[in-house]
Amino acid sequence: MTALWSIFRLILRDQRASMLRGAALGLVVLAMGVALLGLSGWFITAASAAGLAGAGAVFDVFRPSAMVRFLALGRAAARYGERILTHDATLHALETLRLRVLAAHLAAPYARMIRVRGGQALNRLTADIDALDGVPLRLVLPVMAGMAAQVLAFAALWWLVAPSVALWVVGGYLAGAALTAGWMARVSLPLSRRAEVAAQAFRTRLIDLIRGRRDLAVYGRLVAQKAAVERAEARRQDLRRHLDRAERKAAAALGGVASMVAAGALGLGMMLVQSGRIEPAFAALGFFAALALAETLVPLRRAVSDLGRIAGAARRVGRDIASPALAYSHVDGPSACAAALDLKATDLILQRPGAAIPVVTGLSFSLHPGKTLAITGASGTGKSTLLLAIAGLHPVAEGRITLGGRSVADWPEADLRACVSLLPQRSSLMAGTVAEALSLAGPKGDKHMWQALDSVQMTQVIRDRGGLASRIGPRGDGLSGGEARRLALARTLLRMPRILLLDEPTEGLDDATAIAVLAGVRRLLPTAAILIAAHREVETAFADRVIALN
Amino acid sequence: MDKSATQLPDATSRQTDPGQTGQRRAAAISVLAGLVWPLQAAVVAWAIGGLLVERSPAPLIAAIGFGGLGLLRAALTYLAEAQAQAAAEAMIAQARAEIVAAEARRAGDSAFGGAGSLAALAGEKLDLLAPYVTRYAPARARVMVLPLVILGLAFWQSWAVGVVLLISGPLIPVFMALIGMAAKEASARQMTEIGTLNDFLVERLSALVDIRLLGAGPRVLEGFARQAGDLRRRTMAVLRVAFLSSTVLELFAAIGVAMVAVYVGFSLLGALEFGTWGGQLTPEAGIFLLLLAPEFYQPLRDLSAAWHDKAAATAVMDEILAHSSEGSAQLPGSGGQAQRLPGPASIGLHGCFTPSGRALPDMTIAAGERVALIGASGAGKTSALRLMAGLEMPGQGAVVVAGQALTAASADAWRARLGWMPQSPHFLTGSLRQNLTLGRRGNLAEALESAAVGAVVQAMPKGLATRLGETGGGLSGGEARRITLARAVFGNPDVVLADEPTADLDADTAGKVTEGLLAQARRGVTLVVATHDLALAARMDRIIDLGAAP
Repeated sequence: MTALWSIFRLILRDQRASMLRGAALGLVVLAMGVALLGLSGWFITAASAAGLAGAGAVFDVFRPSAMVRFLALGRAAARYGERILTHDATLHALETLRLRVLAAHLAAPYARMIRVRGGQALNRLTADIDALDGVPLRLVLPVMAGMAAQVLAFAALWWLVAPSVALWVVGGYLAGAALTAGWMARVSLPLSRRAEVAAQAFRTRLIDLIRGRRDLAVYGRLVAQKAAVERAEARRQDLRRHLDRAERKAAAALGGVASMVAAGALGLGMMLVQSGRIEPAFAALGFFAALALAETLVPLRRAVSDLGRIAGAARRVGRDIASPALAYSHVDGPSACAAALDLKATDLILQRPGAAIPVVTGLSFSLHPGKTLAITGASGTGKSTLLLAIAGLHPVAEGRITLGGRSVADWPEADLRACVSLLPQRSSLMAGTVAEALSLAGPKGDKHMWQALDSVQMTQVIRDRGGLASRIGPRGDGLSGGEARRLALARTLLRMPRILLLDEPTEGLDDATAIAVLAGVRRLLPTAAILIAAHREVETAFADRVIALN
Repeated sequence: MDKSATQLPDATSRQTDPGQTGQRRAAAISVLAGLVWPLQAAVVAWAIGGLLVERSPAPLIAAIGFGGLGLLRAALTYLAEAQAQAAAEAMIAQARAEIVAAEARRAGDSAFGGAGSLAALAGEKLDLLAPYVTRYAPARARVMVLPLVILGLAFWQSWAVGVVLLISGPLIPVFMALIGMAAKEASARQMTEIGTLNDFLVERLSALVDIRLLGAGPRVLEGFARQAGDLRRRTMAVLRVAFLSSTVLELFAAIGVAMVAVYVGFSLLGALEFGTWGGQLTPEAGIFLLLLAPEFYQPLRDLSAAWHDKAAATAVMDEILAHSSEGSAQLPGSGGQAQRLPGPASIGLHGCFTPSGRALPDMTIAAGERVALIGASGAGKTSALRLMAGLEMPGQGAVVVAGQALTAASADAWRARLGWMPQSPHFLTGSLRQNLTLGRRGNLAEALESAAVGAVVQAMPKGLATRLGETGGGLSGGEARRITLARAVFGNPDVVLADEPTADLDADTAGKVTEGLLAQARRGVTLVVATHDLALAARMDRIIDLGAAP
C-alpha cells in the first residue's frame, strides 16, 4: 500500500494540474447527479402537494424545471469533460511512469540492465506499468471525488432536510464503504499476491515447457513438466475463485449498503413528515439524494477488485524506480574529450557479483594513446568484466583503474562517456533508419556517418540497402549477425573516444573482413588507446601487445 | 454491428461449452435482479404519495419494504455474478488447458509465436475473456428485457411518458452508431499506438547497456518524452470524438429523464391535462414514473460501458483460433519416462528427408561407433540428429534404432537411452542441480567429473544450488555447453547426440568439451556429433558429409 501511495504521489507531483482538474470535474459530475435527482424528487412532490392543495397556479414551476434541465444537460457535459480530463491525466501518468522506469534503469547496475532485457522480465515490467496507468484514473481520483461528494451532500442535507437524515445517509455510506473496503483489502491483498505468484509459476513453467520441449522429451520429462504447468494453473484457479467470491461479497455488501441507506432515509423522512417537522417534498429530496449518492460507491467496487493486482505492480515498479537517475551535467555532455588519455590498471582485482572467487587477480598494465592492447584468455576468465570495469559499469574490488591519472570511479558520467567507448559483446540495435541507429552516438553529419561506416567495411552494404535512410527492423532485424556487429561498431566509433574498448569485435566476420575492419578502426582513431578482448588470431595479431588472463 | 461482433458468438460457442449453461443462467438471474427495481419504485411511490394525501403510511413498513427488496436485488446480483464468474472460469480453464496440451504434444516450435507470446496468450490474454462473460453478456440480456418492461409500465401509467421513452430510446443507438463509426477506426488506431509506445519502451530497455555506454541517456529520454507527448495529443484528439458517443447516450438519458420529470411535475400541478388514460396523474404514479425513467436507459449505459470488453474478447478469441487451427507435427511418443528399449545402440537413417524436403544420405551407425556429421548450414545436420533422437518422424523413409523401426510407440523407450546436447541449451527455472538431474537418479559427482565441469560449478555463487533461469544465471556460452554435457552424461546414456558442441567456443574450452565427449565414447557409448569444427570431426571414427548448402 505504501508503494502504491508513493507511485501515486510521484504521478501527482509530475502531473498535478491535469490530475486535479480531472478530480474536480469528477466531483462536479457526482454533485450534479445528486442535485438532479434530489431536486426532481422535491419538485414532483412539491408540485403534487401544491396541485392537491389547489395552489397549482401560484406554484413557481419555472425555476425548478429550468434547474432540472440545466442539471441534466450540465451533468452530461461535465461528464464528457471529466472523461477527457481524466484520460488526459492517465496518459500523462503513462508518460511519467515510463520515463521514470527508463531513467532509473539507465542508472541501474550492469547486472540489472542485463536482467531486464530478458523477455520475461520485460513482459513483467510492461504488464506492471500498464496496471499502474490506472492508479489515478480508477483508484485514487474517483474515490476522492466520491468522498468529497459525500461531504457536500452532508452539508446540503443538514441544511435542507434534517440533521438526522444527513447523519444517517452520509454516516451510513461512509461507514459501509469503509468497512467493505477495509475487509476487502484485508482478504484480497494476500490472496491476489499468492495468485500472482501462481500465475508467474504457470508462466515460467509453460515457457520452460515450450523452450525446452526437445530436451524435456529426450529426458522423459515432458509429461512431468506438463503436470507442473497444470498444477500451477490449478492453484491459480483456486485462488482466483476465492478472490472472485470476495469481490462478489464486497459488491453485494456495497449494494446492500446503498439500499439500506436509502431505505433508512425514506423511513426517517416519513417520520419527520408525520411528526410535522418537514414538508413531504423535503423528505422526498432526502430519499432521492440518498439514492443518487450510491453512484459514489461504483468506483469503490472497481478499486477494491483491482487493488491487489495494482498493489503488487506498484511494489515491483516502486523498487525498480527507487534508484536515483544519473546526473548528466548538461543534456548532451561535452561533445568531445579534451585530450588524449593514458589507461592504467594497478594490482587490479575484480569479482563477479555473488561469486566467491575473483575473476581477475593482481592485473597491472598501462596503455598509451595510439597503442593497441589485446587481452586473451578462455571464456570465463574475466575479459568482459575487465572492459566493463574500465567503462565504469563494474565495481573494482581492489587495486585501481585510472584514466589520465584519475580513478574511473571519480569521473563524472558525461565526461567518462565522452572519453571512453565500449563495444559490448552483445549490443542491441533498435528499429529505425540507419542514420537514427548511428545518431544514438550523438548528432552527426552524413559525412561523419559514411566515414565511420567506411572504416567498418559497411559502405557497400548500406548503399545496397538504400543508404542512411534505409530502415532496420526491431533488434536489428534484416541485418546479418556480422552486419549488425559492424553497424554497432560504427556507432561506437562515432563517439570518437580517446579510449576504445572492444569486446570480441570481429565475432562473426571472416578473416579478410576482420583484418580490414580493425585497420579501419585504427585509421579513423589514430591516437586512441584501443583495448581488445580478443578471441581470434586476427585480433591478437593486430595488437601491439597481448596479455593473457587465466 | 461489425464483422467481429458476428464472429464472437461462433468462436465462443466452439470454445465455451463448459460455461454455456452458466452464462444463460447468469443472464436470466441478472434480468430478474433488474426487475426488482420497479417493485422498489412502487414502494417509494406508495410511501411518498401517501404522505401527500395524508394516508399516513407506516415509515417502518416502507423502509423494510424498500430495504428488503434492495437486499433481494443485491442477493440476486451476487448469484448472477457467481454464475457468470464460474462460467468464465470454466471457459478460460478449458482454453488454457487446450493450449498447454497442444504445446506439450507438438514436435517443433509453434508458428503462432515464441514462448513469450504463447505464455502471454495462455496467461493474461485469456483472462480478458472474463469481463466479456461477466459484464457484457449479462448487460446484453438486460438490454433485451428491462427497457421493454419499463416501457410497458410507463405506458400503463401514462401514455405521454411512454411516448417520451419510446422516442428517445431507439434514437440512442442510432446516434451512438453514427458517432461510434467515426470514432471506431480512430480508437483502434489509438490502441495500436499505445502498444507501440510499450514496444518503444521495451526496445529501449533491451538496449540499456548500449544507451548508457554511448552516453545517449538524456537524448533517449528526451526522444521518449517527445514520442509519448505526441501519442498523448493524438490520442486525446481521437478520444474527444470517441467520448461523444457515450455523451450522446447520457444526454438523451438526461433529456428523457428531465422531460419525464417536467411533464410529471406540470401534470401534478394540473397545468397539463393530457397523457393519461383518463383522470389526472396521481402523485404515486408521478413518483413511480420518475423513479423508473433512469432505469430505462441504464441497461444501455451498462452495455456501452462494457463495449470494449467485447472488443478485447474478440481479439483474444481470434488469437486462440489462430493457435488451435495451426496444424503441426506431433511429437512421437508422450515425452514421459519409459523403460529403455532393448537392443544394440545402433542407428540407421534410410531414405529420409529434412522438413525442408532435402534428401538425407542413407547412413548406418553401429553401436559404439563415433561419427561426425558435417556439411554446410542447412544441409540437414540438426534434422538428422532430431530424427535419430525420435523427436520427429520422417515424412518418408525410416529411422531404424536398436535393430527395429522407430515408431511413436517405441520413441519414449528409445529416448530413455539417449544423451542429448542441443545447440542452444535452454535452462529451466530452477537450481543447477535440478537442471542437471532433471528428476533422474544417478551419480552427479561422477557426471560432473566426467564432463570436467567441477570448476564451473564451484565458481557459481551457490554451487549446485545456484538458480538458473531465462538468462542462464550468468553462465557463459562455453559453461552452458559443458553443463549440457554433464546433463547428458548423468543418465548413463548408450547414445550421445551432440549438435555443434564446440561452436562459438575458444580453442581451450572446445578442447575440454571434445575430451568430455570422447571420454563417453571410450565408455562404449555411440557418439554422433553434428559439427562445423573439423578438428572435432577428425577425432571421430567416421565422417558423414551431408553436402553443400542447398
